[in-house]
Amino acid sequence: MNNLDRNLRFGWWSLLVFLSLGGVLEILHGFKVGWYVDVGSDMRRLMFTLAHAHGTALALVNIAAGLTGRSVKALTPRASVCFSLIWAGILFPVGFFLGGVVTYGGDPGLGIWLVPIAALLLFYSVVRIALDLSRSS
Amino acid sequence: MTQVTTPSNLLGVNEQHEFLLDNQEYKLEREGDGFFVRTRPLGGDYGPPKQVVLLTGSHNLQIVWLETSEDRTLEQFPFAYIIAEKIWAPVRQTFLMPPDLKEYYSIGAWNGACMDCHVTGGQSRFVTGNKWDSRVAEFGIACEACHSEGRQHIALNRNPFRRFKIHLTTKSDATVTNPARLGAPVSGLDCGQCHSVWAFNNISDKINFNRQGANFRPGHDELGQRFVVQPSAPDHREQKDFIRETEPDFFSNRFWGDGMIRVTGREFNGLQASPCFRGGNFSCISCHEMHPANTRQVSLTKWARNGQLRPKMDSDEACLQCHKTIGSSISAHTHHAADSSGSRCYNCHMPNTTFGLLRAMRSHQVSRPTVQESVDYGRPNACNLCHLNQTLAWTAEKLHDWYNQPIPQLSDDDKTIAATVQWILKGDAGQRALIAWGMGWKPAQEVSGPEWLYPHLIYAMTDEYAAVRFDAWKSLQTLPGFSDFSFTYTADDRLLRQAAGRALEKWLREVRPPNATFEPQTALDSDGRIQHDLFQRLRSERDNKRILLAE
Repeated sequence: MNNLDRNLRFGWWSLLVFLSLGGVLEILHGFKVGWYVDVGSDMRRLMFTLAHAHGTALALVNIAAGLTGRSVKALTPRASVCFSLIWAGILFPVGFFLGGVVTYGGDPGLGIWLVPIAALLLFYSVVRIALDLSRSS
Repeated sequence: MTQVTTPSNLLGVNEQHEFLLDNQEYKLEREGDGFFVRTRPLGGDYGPPKQVVLLTGSHNLQIVWLETSEDRTLEQFPFAYIIAEKIWAPVRQTFLMPPDLKEYYSIGAWNGACMDCHVTGGQSRFVTGNKWDSRVAEFGIACEACHSEGRQHIALNRNPFRRFKIHLTTKSDATVTNPARLGAPVSGLDCGQCHSVWAFNNISDKINFNRQGANFRPGHDELGQRFVVQPSAPDHREQKDFIRETEPDFFSNRFWGDGMIRVTGREFNGLQASPCFRGGNFSCISCHEMHPANTRQVSLTKWARNGQLRPKMDSDEACLQCHKTIGSSISAHTHHAADSSGSRCYNCHMPNTTFGLLRAMRSHQVSRPTVQESVDYGRPNACNLCHLNQTLAWTAEKLHDWYNQPIPQLSDDDKTIAATVQWILKGDAGQRALIAWGMGWKPAQEVSGPEWLYPHLIYAMTDEYAAVRFDAWKSLQTLPGFSDFSFTYTADDRLLRQAAGRALEKWLREVRPPNATFEPQTALDSDGRIQHDLFQRLRSERDNKRILLAE
C-alpha cells in the first residue's frame, strides 16, 4: 500500500465528517440557536465556520494527494509527508473548533494555537510533494 | 446620542412634512439621501434650504439640528419628534417649561451645551458671537466614553501572546478602564460624568473644557474641571453661592427643596445622596448593565425599554441583593401583602418623583417615604403616589402607626382633600406633571380606583404647561373608554378647551358607571361632577412660579 493511499482513505472519511459538520451548522442557523447565532457569539460562529471550511478543504487536499500518488508512478512519497498532511487535516479543523467552544470576547479559545502547528505541517507537506514531483519528472 | 442624519435614522419624515409655528411655516423634505428645511413667514416666500445634519436622541425624543452659514455652528429645528407617539411637536412643548418661553434652544445650543454629553470626546470651541468650531472624537456614546482612551490598549493588544496571557491570568488589563472593576463611587462617576447636575470649578476650567473638552477620564475619582452639584453637601460652597447669585432658578429648576434631584437624566445626584452609596458598594451597575449577555433582538429591545437593567433588577432582587434579611419576611417590613404593589421595594423607596422626557421616572435617591417631605418641599411621597385618593393626614397616621414617624403639622386641606388632588390643582407645574403622569400609573389605579380620575385628568388637559397636558392625556388614555381618545396637546387654548369638553361629555354620558360613588376627599360631588367652589379655591391657590425642569 502506497503511503499516500492513507491520505486518500483519510480524505474521504474526513470529507464525510466535515460535510456533516456543515449540515450541523446549517441546522444551528436554521433554528437560530442563540449559542451560535447571537451577536455576542460572532467569534464562535467564525471559528466553527473556519473549522468546517478547513476540514473540508484539507480533506480534498488529502484526496488530491492520494490520487496524485496513484497517477504519478515515479513519485515516492515520504512517510513524513503523508503523516503531516493527515495531521494538518486533523489539527486545522480541531483547532478552529476548540477555539470556538470557549471564547474570550474578541479572541478564540486556546485551541486556536493548534492552527499554526497545522499550518506548518501543511506547508511542509505541500512543499515536499511539489519538490518530489518536480524531481520525478 | 448624536447621529449624522441619514434616511434610515431621521424618524417621522418620508418625503415631505410641513409645520407651522409662531406664524412661520417650515417645510422639511427629502432630496436624495439628504433632508432640507425651508422656512417662510406665513404666506410669504420660502428662503434657501438648510440641510439637516445631525440628530440627537434615538429612544424617546429626536431633536433635529440644521447647518448654518457659520460652518460647524448648528441651529435647532424648532420641532422635535416624539418617538413613542409618532408625532412632531414644538421643542418647547416637549420639555416642562413656561409656556411663554419662546426659544429654549437656539443657534449654537448644540455646540455650547448638548454636545457636552451627547457625543464622545467633544470640544465645543467657542469662537465669537454665535460662532463655534466644534470637534468630536465620535458621535454617539462610544467605547471611550466609559472605558477611557483606547490607543495604548489597542496598540498593546495587537500582540496575541499578551491577550492570551490576560485571558489566562488576571483577566484584567491596566491599559483600559473597566467600570465593573472600579470601586462603586468611582464607577458611578463614570456614568455621573453626564448623568449628574454638574458645574465648572472656575472660569478657567470652563474655558479649558470649552477648548480641550473634558479632562475627566473613566477611573478618575473627580470630574476634573467640573464638580457634581449637590445643594445640601458641604463641598464647593463658593461655587454654589456664585451659581445662586448669577442664576437664581438654577437649583429650583433641578432640585426639590431638600436637595433631592427632581429632573431625569441626572441620576448620579440621587445615587450619591442615597444612604446605600455610603456603604461603598452601590453604583449604577448594581442594577444596570451596558453589555447584556443575552443579545437576542427581543431581549435587547426589552432591555433598552426597561432602563437597561440587569436581569431581575426590575424586581425586589435589586434591593435584596444587599438587604437579604428583609426578603424573608417582607410583609413585616412593608405592612402590605407580600405580593402587592405596596411590597415592591422600588415603589416605596424609589417613587416616581423625577420628571423628564414628558414623563415621571423613579427617583434614584433611595429614601423612605415621609409626609414631612411633602409638607416641607411639596414632593409627592411614595404612599400618596399609590394611594392617590388619600389625604396626607391618612398617610401620616399610617406612617406613625407602622414606623413611629412623627405626625407633622397639617393644614385643614391636608386632612380633608386627597394629596394628589391638591398637587394637581394647587401644585407647581412640576408637581402637576408628576401627578398627571401618576394618575395613569397602573398600580396606583388599581389601589385607588380609576373612576374618580377622569375629571381631574380632563381638567389637567387644559393646563397652561404642555407637559402637564401631555401626561394628563396619556393617563386618560389608560382609563377604560378613552384608549383611543385623540387630543392635540400642542393646540391653542380654544381647541384645548373644546377637547376637554368633548372628553368630559364622553365620560359623563358614556363611561361613568351609573352607580359609581365618589369620595368627598376627591373634590368631586357624589355623582362625580367637580365641586366648582372647591376647584376654584384650590386653583386660585396654585403655585404659579415659573418652572423649567432642566432635564
